[in-house]
Amino acid sequence: MKWKKCISLLMACLLAATLLAGCGGDTAEQPAASEKKETVTVALWGNQLLESYAQYLCESFPEVEFEFILANNSTDYYRYRNDHGDLPDILTVRRFALKDAVLLKDMLYDLCDTELASTFYGSYLENYTYDDGTVNWLPACAEVDSLIINKTLFEEYNIPVPTDYASFISACEAFEAEGIQGFVSDFDSDYTCMETLQGFSIAQLLTMEGREWRQQYESGATNQLSEKVWMPVFEKFFDMKDKVGLDETDAAMENRAPKDLFLEGKAAMYRGTGADVITFRGRGEDVPLLMPYFGDTEEDNWYLTYPAFQVAASKKAMEDPEREQLILDIMAAMLNQEGLEHIAYGKNMIPYNKNVNLELLPELDNLKPFIDENKMYIRLASNDMFRISREVVQQILKQEVATPQEAFDAFNALLAAENPADQVVAHIDTYYSKDFTEEHGDQAASAICNTIRAEAGVDLLFAQACYISSDIYEGDYTENDLSYLTKNDGGWPVVADLTGEQVYRMVEATLALKDNRGAVCTDSTLYVSSGFEMDISRTEDGGYTLNALTVNGEELDREAVYSVLIFGDRDWYMPVIMEEIGCEDFNDDVLKVKEYVYKRLVEEGGQLEAPTDYITLH
Amino acid sequence: MTQGERLKKYIVPVLFGLGFMAVLCVGLLYVRSYMMGQTVRERSDQLEEMIVQIRTNLEYGLETHWNYLTSIEHTIEGRQYPDDAAVVRDIAALEQQFVTERYGSRVMFLDSKGRALLREGEKGIWGDINRLADGEVRHTFVSDTSNVDGTFLAFVLKMDTPVIVGEGEHQERLTHLVLLKDMETLQQYYTSESYGGKAATYMIKENGLLAYYDAEDDIFGVRNIYKALDQAEYIQGRSFDDIKEQMAANGVAVSNILLDGTEYYYCLAGLDTYEMTLMLLIPAEYIAVETVNMMNSTIGVLLAFLGLLAVMMVLTVSGVLKVRNRNRVIEIEQENNQTLNKLRLAAEDALHAAEVANRSKSTFLSNMSHDIRTPMNAVIGFTTLAAANVENTEKVKDYLAKILSASNHLLSLINDVLDMSRIESGKIQLEEAEANLSDILHDIKTIVSGQIHAKQLDLYMDTLDVTDEDVYCDKMRLNQVLLNLISNAIKFTPAGGSISIRVAQLHSAPEGKGRYEIRVKDTGIGMSQEFAQRIFEPFERERTSTVSKIQGTGLGMSIAKNIIDMMGGTIRVVTEQGKGTEFIINLTLRLQNERRSVEQIKELEGLKALVVDDDFATCDSVTRMLVQVGMRSEWTLSGREAVLRSRQASEMNDAFHAYIIDWRLPDMNGIEVTRQIRREVGESTPIIILTAYDWTDIEEEARAAGVTAFCAKPMFLSDLRESLLTSLGYQQAENGRGLPTAEGQEEFRDKRILLAEDNELNREIAVELLSEYGFRVDTAENGAEAVKLVEQSRPGDYDLVLMDIQMPVMNGYEATRRIRALEDPYLANITILAMTANAFEEDKREAAEHGMNGFLTKPIDIGQLLDTLRLVFCKP
Repeated sequence: MKWKKCISLLMACLLAATLLAGCGGDTAEQPAASEKKETVTVALWGNQLLESYAQYLCESFPEVEFEFILANNSTDYYRYRNDHGDLPDILTVRRFALKDAVLLKDMLYDLCDTELASTFYGSYLENYTYDDGTVNWLPACAEVDSLIINKTLFEEYNIPVPTDYASFISACEAFEAEGIQGFVSDFDSDYTCMETLQGFSIAQLLTMEGREWRQQYESGATNQLSEKVWMPVFEKFFDMKDKVGLDETDAAMENRAPKDLFLEGKAAMYRGTGADVITFRGRGEDVPLLMPYFGDTEEDNWYLTYPAFQVAASKKAMEDPEREQLILDIMAAMLNQEGLEHIAYGKNMIPYNKNVNLELLPELDNLKPFIDENKMYIRLASNDMFRISREVVQQILKQEVATPQEAFDAFNALLAAENPADQVVAHIDTYYSKDFTEEHGDQAASAICNTIRAEAGVDLLFAQACYISSDIYEGDYTENDLSYLTKNDGGWPVVADLTGEQVYRMVEATLALKDNRGAVCTDSTLYVSSGFEMDISRTEDGGYTLNALTVNGEELDREAVYSVLIFGDRDWYMPVIMEEIGCEDFNDDVLKVKEYVYKRLVEEGGQLEAPTDYITLH
Repeated sequence: MTQGERLKKYIVPVLFGLGFMAVLCVGLLYVRSYMMGQTVRERSDQLEEMIVQIRTNLEYGLETHWNYLTSIEHTIEGRQYPDDAAVVRDIAALEQQFVTERYGSRVMFLDSKGRALLREGEKGIWGDINRLADGEVRHTFVSDTSNVDGTFLAFVLKMDTPVIVGEGEHQERLTHLVLLKDMETLQQYYTSESYGGKAATYMIKENGLLAYYDAEDDIFGVRNIYKALDQAEYIQGRSFDDIKEQMAANGVAVSNILLDGTEYYYCLAGLDTYEMTLMLLIPAEYIAVETVNMMNSTIGVLLAFLGLLAVMMVLTVSGVLKVRNRNRVIEIEQENNQTLNKLRLAAEDALHAAEVANRSKSTFLSNMSHDIRTPMNAVIGFTTLAAANVENTEKVKDYLAKILSASNHLLSLINDVLDMSRIESGKIQLEEAEANLSDILHDIKTIVSGQIHAKQLDLYMDTLDVTDEDVYCDKMRLNQVLLNLISNAIKFTPAGGSISIRVAQLHSAPEGKGRYEIRVKDTGIGMSQEFAQRIFEPFERERTSTVSKIQGTGLGMSIAKNIIDMMGGTIRVVTEQGKGTEFIINLTLRLQNERRSVEQIKELEGLKALVVDDDFATCDSVTRMLVQVGMRSEWTLSGREAVLRSRQASEMNDAFHAYIIDWRLPDMNGIEVTRQIRREVGESTPIIILTAYDWTDIEEEARAAGVTAFCAKPMFLSDLRESLLTSLGYQQAENGRGLPTAEGQEEFRDKRILLAEDNELNREIAVELLSEYGFRVDTAENGAEAVKLVEQSRPGDYDLVLMDIQMPVMNGYEATRRIRALEDPYLANITILAMTANAFEEDKREAAEHGMNGFLTKPIDIGQLLDTLRLVFCKP
């Protein structure tokens, strides 16, 4: 009897202890969760994602404090971040090849077993799966990147719209006779060189030999082009160059120039994307059409595509189960129907995800049969392919290589050689954090901006903080590493003489921007000033408002004239802001920001300027 | 007594009691741990056995699809299509012809650019085209693409010769042939109703990702199964790395893990050919339920026992302490009683053991007595009747025939008992030698054809995909097994029924070996499921009204099972009462390095042949053989179509240069088909009739109709080759075996034999038999007399001594030793053959060790005797 009593008493104690412990746990955790917003760092591959995509994420997760940074478009940028043990929580990348990404494999979260991964078609997911089944990256929808033709121009000159390679050449020749350039592209950019080289020979690259070679190249089994597969590719490019009349003038053509020719009706065809079709409407009312890369027969016409970007998560960020779930939820939102519709012009892309159905815009109707037939070539996009394609295509256009054989040999030689941009060229002595604080702002961005201001010799500088991509680490830097300190392909520096009043209006207008690529949506996307300080308050609706601008504590003289370097998105932000402050006379023929940094650290062997407390945020 | 002494007096027994309890507890823990280990082993063994079986089924099923694909490739070889629409139409026709729907499969073509053509039309570039870019000819993988709806197991074959579509500039090549198999239809190959339907089946890709699963719930709920297995909690200190090592070594691995607190067993088996792994995942509670129950009961009993013992110990200790000093006499009496009890229990145990042994012996003797008495009864009864009717020759002949039959049965019973005894004592050894499956099957056919004919049964022998017929095996033992199965089939199949034997070569054997499946199937009376489970146990015969009338020792199946086990194979039975029985043997045999000539026949190289048989498997198999001899082959299931296609081929100047036609076709018999085809083709074209039946009766008619040669089923590659060569006028290889003839008798005339045999009756039989064949025979009644006769003879007087072993005065071994010790070298080297009823291998060895030159068993088999004598007298 005594034993029975003892056992009953013991059980009762245990039960009570368990219940109490359970209650205690709940009450202890609840206040902690509500105290502070969870911070999640998202690296966006391009500034166009800042526009509505970043806003969409902020609105979808009000409980999250997002830190957006603009990343470089290659996985090598994350290799650089990882070398310093500083991967962002969520990573996005535009240029992707599994053979390049493998370096990050152990640092990234395996998405293989997530519900998110199961929503993708198996055949697409296969491209992201390592030999041990790990899946780190998942693709957003496919971007189409082929030839845009100005249909109106063709009709005006009564020239038939091309249907194959021969008629494409005929059209170019016919336009040439009318003093209009047949085909233009920004051959200064590596992706243009790579895509046109591959694009005109897609049927050749998709023969079974071509597919076999690609599999070997992507698996690392070979690092050389196959003569059987690639010689015809170079022969085709030489043929196209000769017949279209491309030369060193085209080699020097930068981003804006060919677009302007096309918009002005001085060029009939242009290498561009689905988004370009919607935005570049020629002379206003012209009808652009997105055509495939032309093959020898209509059967051989293919569109060139690639994922708009890929998404991954840092393994370290997922250590806490609650945070893991939160980040997975954010990634799911990034890749679901609504998320994909917020990517730039949403409806110009093709989904890889079974649960997403993006309707094509009417302008892209002629894509439909190609989508149905799956005639969408996914570009071969390793880092080497981009870099070397540019070098070799430039040599071809400048006639530094004379025959397809020479071009082929040059390509293989570069593939075998070490990339000079991987050599150590500088050393930074001091570490600066990119974490934003209300008192000091973003110290890393401030150090860079102060350095650029000093190198450019201007009085003031105004730049978006997220264009400075990461913490500044103490240590050795290669040329590539230095270029990753700043975001260069979307951002462009402009120098103008502005009055103090104009500077006030510039800052005020920038803070008021909501729906553009200069958008300020979080503390991390606020602008950085150099040469003056900003006093800013948060508004009740989640925005920002300017209180005062000072120089060394004194209010900025509204009457004085200052030379100002503005660093932001050239195509979208600059026109808006210049119109807003009434400035028509500005100079964009200046060095790129990475060149200022390179000049200071490499050419002059100096160090970055010390950061300043440029902002007070209330 | 001081307090210290009093304390001592209590402490010793208490300590002893505690020590004893501790030993018991340790023992109990050990027993428990041992039994748990046994449970794990039992469960692992069960699962391993099951997954190997499932893997075999699955591989066989998948291989069948490859066969289909190859057949489709053969069918379309050389076809040209004007456009895609024609291809699409033909896909529909091919699907109908090959009944692909029944297998949940669809046919798809890929052109050189990766365009997919299905029966619904063109589907654009196939999403999985890049998977074919590794240079391999065959691919098997799970396909889930955006442009072909559904999830399939795709079998992709790169065709030897691309099929041409269109003409001129627009010409396109179809390079790949694809069979898309609906994943759900795979279920038939692996579904196991065991384990209460709780077994989940997974197919896993090489990289560990889930290709497909079939279960009520997805227990893992993840795609990367290997990762999940790696992260699971292993119960016995193992890890997934151990399992992977085990997989690499054996191809199969089993382990138990905890998933969400529940114990599961998983079992992996590699499907290496398909770059996939098969996995079974089952909650532990559903495996080896009986064993676990037994273990639990045992532990329960042990616990109860321990409890009881503890109580008894306490009582005993306290009792002893209280009573010891006061009642010494009672204590001694108790001890005596306990001793007596133990002795009584021991005696009872011994008695029980003796009774069990006695019962076993009685059962065996009872069985043997019954089985020996039955034929002995016939021998004595019919001998009595023969003696009473000695004047009536007809009756005597009849009685003698019956006596012979009963004697033969008696002999086979003794042979079986001896075989069984030797198998059980491990004395039997397989003698692997070169053998040819075709010869084995044809020999068996010859042996059983008399019984088959006598019982008015149909015998159908066939092969499937046998490419390696030259193997190493113990031909005699394999024959024994097959004859046993076939004899049973003949016994238990009523007149008018049929017996079929099919030999198939499976395609997953290790290098240098061949895996064969031999099926012996009858349409007989079948067995109950209960009996089928015991069929391989000794002395088991089903007691039904029909079966009890049929003779048998009940040992045959047990011997067959033991022999197959020794060969490393498996045998199982599928049966249903009233419908028939099928025995399925799986064997892996070593292949001969020097294969029988399979070179191509030059005269027929590249020429076209037509195979006509209503059985698709035969068409497929013969077609492959024809390809191996260098011909192109087509096939049809219908006689009428064969005639039509022959005519069309002649009209299109692409005539067939050989025909292989089944005799019994459903729509038109083979002779008629031959007659009609012969009208179209010249005399020089070989037309070979393929038949499983005796063709003697129809040979004349067939030859008149234009048949060039006959080929008996089962047809192996060597048979086909020989038939074709014969048809082309080549000399057929001489492989007939000489039988005893009158000339043979001349050969032995005047040969003199000394027969040493103590039994008068045996002596008389031997003398009579040998005299019949021209021998002169002297006799000796024991070994000493034999030695004396040899010693006194002149060289050349005796050509041979036949020596019994067990004889009075001097046994055969001693006599041989003495003869070998004679001074005259000729006499000392005389040929001595042992003739004995001791028929074991060790007896043979002993005879050889004592200097004997050969060995004959009694009762005398005249064929064996003549063969041995021929060897003796013909040796150089």
